[in-house]
Amino acid sequence: MHASNPHSQHPTNHDQPTTPSVLTAFWVLVVQSFQRHWHVKQMGWVSFGLLTLVVVSVGIVTARDRWGLPERPVRRDLSHRQIAEQQLLPGRYDTRRYDPTGQPPGVATITPAEIPSPFDPVKDGIQNLILSIPQAVMQSPKFLDDWAFMNFSRWVILGAYFGFVLPMFTLAYASAAFGTERESRSLVWVMTRPIPRSAIYTAKFLGTLPWCIVFGLGGFVVLCLAGGELGLRAMKMYWPAAVAGTIAFSAMFHLIGAIFRRPVVVGLVYVFFYEALVAALPGSLKLLSLTFYARSLMYNAATTAGYPTNLLDLSQPETTETAWIVLVIATTALTITGMWLFSKLEYRDDV
Amino acid sequence: MTSDQHPMFSVSPSGTAPSVVARPAGAAANQHSLHIPHHSSEPLLLFEQVSKWYGSVLALNQVTLSLTGGITGLVGANGAGKSTLLRMANGQLKPTLGRVSVHGIDTWDWRARRLVGYCPDIDAFYEDLSGRRFVWVMARLCGYTRTESTRRTEAVLERVGMRDRADRKLRGYSKGMRQRVKLAQALLHDPELLILDEPLSGIDPIGRQELLEVFQSLAAQGKCLLISSHELEALEKLTNHVAIMARGRIAAVGTLPQIRELLDDHPLSVRIDVDRPRDLARLLLAVPEVLSVDIGKAPEPIGLVVKARHPKQFFQTFSRLVVEHQLEVRRLEPLDESVHDILGYLLGGSGKT
Repeated sequence: MHASNPHSQHPTNHDQPTTPSVLTAFWVLVVQSFQRHWHVKQMGWVSFGLLTLVVVSVGIVTARDRWGLPERPVRRDLSHRQIAEQQLLPGRYDTRRYDPTGQPPGVATITPAEIPSPFDPVKDGIQNLILSIPQAVMQSPKFLDDWAFMNFSRWVILGAYFGFVLPMFTLAYASAAFGTERESRSLVWVMTRPIPRSAIYTAKFLGTLPWCIVFGLGGFVVLCLAGGELGLRAMKMYWPAAVAGTIAFSAMFHLIGAIFRRPVVVGLVYVFFYEALVAALPGSLKLLSLTFYARSLMYNAATTAGYPTNLLDLSQPETTETAWIVLVIATTALTITGMWLFSKLEYRDDV
Repeated sequence: MTSDQHPMFSVSPSGTAPSVVARPAGAAANQHSLHIPHHSSEPLLLFEQVSKWYGSVLALNQVTLSLTGGITGLVGANGAGKSTLLRMANGQLKPTLGRVSVHGIDTWDWRARRLVGYCPDIDAFYEDLSGRRFVWVMARLCGYTRTESTRRTEAVLERVGMRDRADRKLRGYSKGMRQRVKLAQALLHDPELLILDEPLSGIDPIGRQELLEVFQSLAAQGKCLLISSHELEALEKLTNHVAIMARGRIAAVGTLPQIRELLDDHPLSVRIDVDRPRDLARLLLAVPEVLSVDIGKAPEPIGLVVKARHPKQFFQTFSRLVVEHQLEVRRLEPLDESVHDILGYLLGGSGKT
């Protein structure tokens, strides 16, 4: 220890003392925040575990080819295919019946429903029409493919990804920017540096954002890959909605992490009570939900591609342009609000 | 030591919250590299009628304090408001009322943090980093280039005696090493004001002495150090200028003798070893300020313990008597002039903090 000769090693005893730069400090904090996120463990692992469960479930459904309408369960132990087969008039649409090389026509038994009603043509027509729908549906490859894709979109992308995976990952990583350091009480080291508080908030957000994007979009990619061919198609179609949703959710959870002492609890309440309920409500209240605009982007992408989007069950979606504008404005507004609030908030290292 | 003799400070009590007008003495004012305009007329750290509420709890109550240099010890019982005061001084907290400034810059303003080095009492680090890496990152977060950060890191590690053992992970450091690293990061940007919250906590006697020497050398450079500590004996070795806090107020501030003199309700106890104790006892009993005199028992009845009011007048009278009667004084020791004793008197208890 060199207390006796203090000038010999003093930091400023230099021929050309350098002036510190706030901009340098800002970018160092961005990098440092990015690096510190290796240590976001608890919520990160929870999210990974939940994602694994979802991916395995999607993989199993995909492997069993259960996304299509025919295999969709209608009621216990009975799929659409089985119902269609039950309702099918044996032989009516069976090409084998009329195929000279196939089974002889006399093999199929004639059921009472198949008995024509020559004296009641209306009844006969309706009966034939109703009984023909299931089989007609089963015979349309385009309809079945579209249905399977929208079914996948609804349950995996809209439900699992936007409703669960994306919020969980962005909550885990965005709220940890301040939350982890606050919990470990190491935030004091950043807060006592000569950097404006609003810049600290922004730098932390920029340092966190790559993690949110990597894991938010990573979860999207993994889920899509688990969905096979349907998933690949969904990935190509919905990735802009996933990116926009990821960034908007990251801004929201970063704000929550900065102003609340229990950001995970507040974030979970926000996701599962606010976003899950409000975004699904009819009326104008859903306009306050971030998920609604991401879902609108997804809905519009599917509609533009010619898919029957009624399966997505989204009431009065916004246009693509409006959804983009709202998400960009929301992200910017959340970030500016966070900068302002954080510059007013006091940091106490003793609580 | 009187206020005139004190190297750094004079005291000018004002109302319920005495303020210290500090004068740099001896060491030249350090011109650091941050190019912050130095206004010599302005105090370095200034609390102006500062109050702080935490909800319904009043943590600081109209505190007025002004420091410009040297070492000031901040003492008081737990919950007295010391930490709140320190956190306001480094801009972590905003006053509810009043203003806190460093060289005229509001401490809430980030530019004020260029002038302040803060060594917190919390023991939390980025545990996976080495001490050297941690200090280097802190230097980078001050805005220095890589080269400059490396240079400053090595300099401050050298200064706190950690240069040769800073490559281990922080999680493996002893308490003393962690305290040194905390001090090192506070010195990185060569601040004019150093705020140290319990810097001696958990440090062994040798390390403590080394850190005390570092503090003294910093003060000799013209730095202003505000040190909160429960280690009253160590603090007393470092400085006899203290600010005593009680229930959110600055109860007293100044040198220990000055504060002691203000405590009229508590007579000063002085031990005096003299060649003719009985003669001196007889003389002292005639002095109005003297309340009692106890003479030591045989076989060596040379010591007196005198209780007296108004220490300044008492010592003037005592000096006159010694000269007039040609007494040989071998020892003169105030028995209750320590920080601990004064704190006990001020807080109405034992002085335990």
